[in-house]
Amino acid sequence: MSFRDLFGFALAAVLQNRRRSALSLLGVVIGVVAVLSLTAIGEGALRYVTSQFASLGSSIINVSPGRNETTGGMPHGVGGTPNDLTLRDAMVLEHRIPEVRASIPVSISTQNVSFRERARRAPIVGATRAFERLQQLDLAMGEFLPESELDRGAAVVVLGHKVARELFDEANPLGSTVRIGSWRMRVIGVLQERGQQLGMDVDEVAFIPVASGMRMANESSVSRIMLDLWPRSDQDAVVEQVKQLLIERHDEEDFTCVRQDAVLQSLSSILGILTLVVAGIASISLAVAGIGIMNVMLVSVSERRDEVGLLKAVGANRRQILFIFLLEAALLSSAGGLLGLALGTALISIGDRLYPAMDIVAPLWAIVAVLALSLGTGIVFGVLPAWRASRLDPVAALQGP
Amino acid sequence: MIRVEDVWRTYVMGDTELHALRGVSETIEDGEYVAIIGPSGSGKSTLLNVLGCLDSPDRGRYFLAGEDVAGLDEDALAETRLRRIGFIFQSFHLVPRLTALQNVEMPMIFAGIPPAERRQRAKASLAAVGLSDREGHRPNELSGGQKQRVAIARSTVMDPGLLLCDEPTGNLDSRSGAQVLDLLAELHADGRTLVVVTHDPGVARRADRVVVMRDGGILKRVRGQEVGDLGSLFDLGDGDGDGNGDGGAAEVPVEALEA
Repeated sequence: MSFRDLFGFALAAVLQNRRRSALSLLGVVIGVVAVLSLTAIGEGALRYVTSQFASLGSSIINVSPGRNETTGGMPHGVGGTPNDLTLRDAMVLEHRIPEVRASIPVSISTQNVSFRERARRAPIVGATRAFERLQQLDLAMGEFLPESELDRGAAVVVLGHKVARELFDEANPLGSTVRIGSWRMRVIGVLQERGQQLGMDVDEVAFIPVASGMRMANESSVSRIMLDLWPRSDQDAVVEQVKQLLIERHDEEDFTCVRQDAVLQSLSSILGILTLVVAGIASISLAVAGIGIMNVMLVSVSERRDEVGLLKAVGANRRQILFIFLLEAALLSSAGGLLGLALGTALISIGDRLYPAMDIVAPLWAIVAVLALSLGTGIVFGVLPAWRASRLDPVAALQGP
Repeated sequence: MIRVEDVWRTYVMGDTELHALRGVSETIEDGEYVAIIGPSGSGKSTLLNVLGCLDSPDRGRYFLAGEDVAGLDEDALAETRLRRIGFIFQSFHLVPRLTALQNVEMPMIFAGIPPAERRQRAKASLAAVGLSDREGHRPNELSGGQKQRVAIARSTVMDPGLLLCDEPTGNLDSRSGAQVLDLLAELHADGRTLVVVTHDPGVARRADRVVVMRDGGILKRVRGQEVGDLGSLFDLGDGDGDGNGDGGAAEVPVEALEA
């Protein structure tokens, strides 16, 4: 008994009853499509979030004033008034920790921005030149903030796309002077449109040198310090060094230092679990499809009683008959699995095109799992009908259905 | 040599027990052509199923070429059917989706014979029944006589020593019936043992020996040439004397008749 022969035998049986086979396939197809598209959406969401974080910079460490920024609770610690983060802190971090490529002090305030009679309120971000690389900002024209001493606040500004648009319409803003608060700043660059992203909407922002930002806000401290690390740095080790250095300088841990991707990690693990749960629920539909296959196979066995009787009469043993019917069920379900894979892939690529922002792709593990699952479904639910066929009494079976 | 000894087969249907075979003993020599004749319900088909290892007797022994088959398990019985027994049925039992050639090949699949050899043997077997030109036809494209010839080709393709035929001409017109009987005679001439169950005296007449059954027992044994019409077959020892063989004989012990 060779596998190929029995395969041919089973295939002929499946093809004999095309409509019924097709209907029982349909259940598997739907189940597979459901599992595939749901995991693809989950994976897409995961990729979306990951890429959003990547655009914020993945090897970034954030230092902010106050002890418990991310865990909530008392913002300014229990042990007395915290020291502010200063430009000096930022410089020390950059010079003392070799893994730090750039230490970027950031100040944030909201000011009136006006050009001639047009005005609007906008978030004003004080930063340094390295911020451009850190946030992967693209310039539509001009250039980003100049390289200069941290405490030198030049009177220049880089406008976000929307700000520039509202103040200047189609006119070229480069070289013009805008008023920010009571300051007059020369426009040296305009950012490309970027759209809404996790975090701030850079289209609405105006960037100025950090020292200017601090003065404008009348502050001696910065809102936060962002550390841009060299690639492949040990982020946890850097976090430790930052803590040591700042504790040395402040005499207490009155700041919060976290990896930017800490949030990403917990978010992606939540998304991963959600995807698995949803896919698990979808795979229940595969079990239902398996029952459909079982039903069809039971009908098929009872319709082909005389054939089973004949197989026994010509000398097929129980194992061979069991195998033939099991193979038939497996053939049905794996054909359904492949069809579902084709249909699901098509649907997923359509979805991917409809939502270009999201990268919707069925992950390889899901494809492998769903194919194995559909094949397994056929075998598991094919056992009962096949076992029945193999146990038929040949004399009774030969008398027909 | 085939020998059954005191074989009983009882079917339980609800509360009633139906004794299909009541202690049948019979010996068939190798190469013999035996017809089993009797009215329906006489147990002739049950006896054929027991001889073909499709049915196991409740009691008694069955020796096939000296081996007691009654004690074999399912797999061994399947192997026996595969290698040593060929079946020919009244309703042909061809698989409708397979071609004539594929139907003939089927037993060899279960025997694990490689495809090339299988194909060649199936072709030879079909040629022997004169159907070389019908290899690619499916059963619904064949006449009744052709179907039965395909079935005969299938039953002989594993070259079994014993052929069991259950009403082989029952569904055929007289011309194709005669063709089939001629084929069976050829197979017998090749040295095979043939057991044919029939209710047709014309079929029984071609056998060496005829076993007449009634009510689960053997009524008598006659030579093939001596078979007259149905009525005369049951005249002897028909207990109620009506000659139709439908009653009375059960009271007459089979052993007494055999003596």
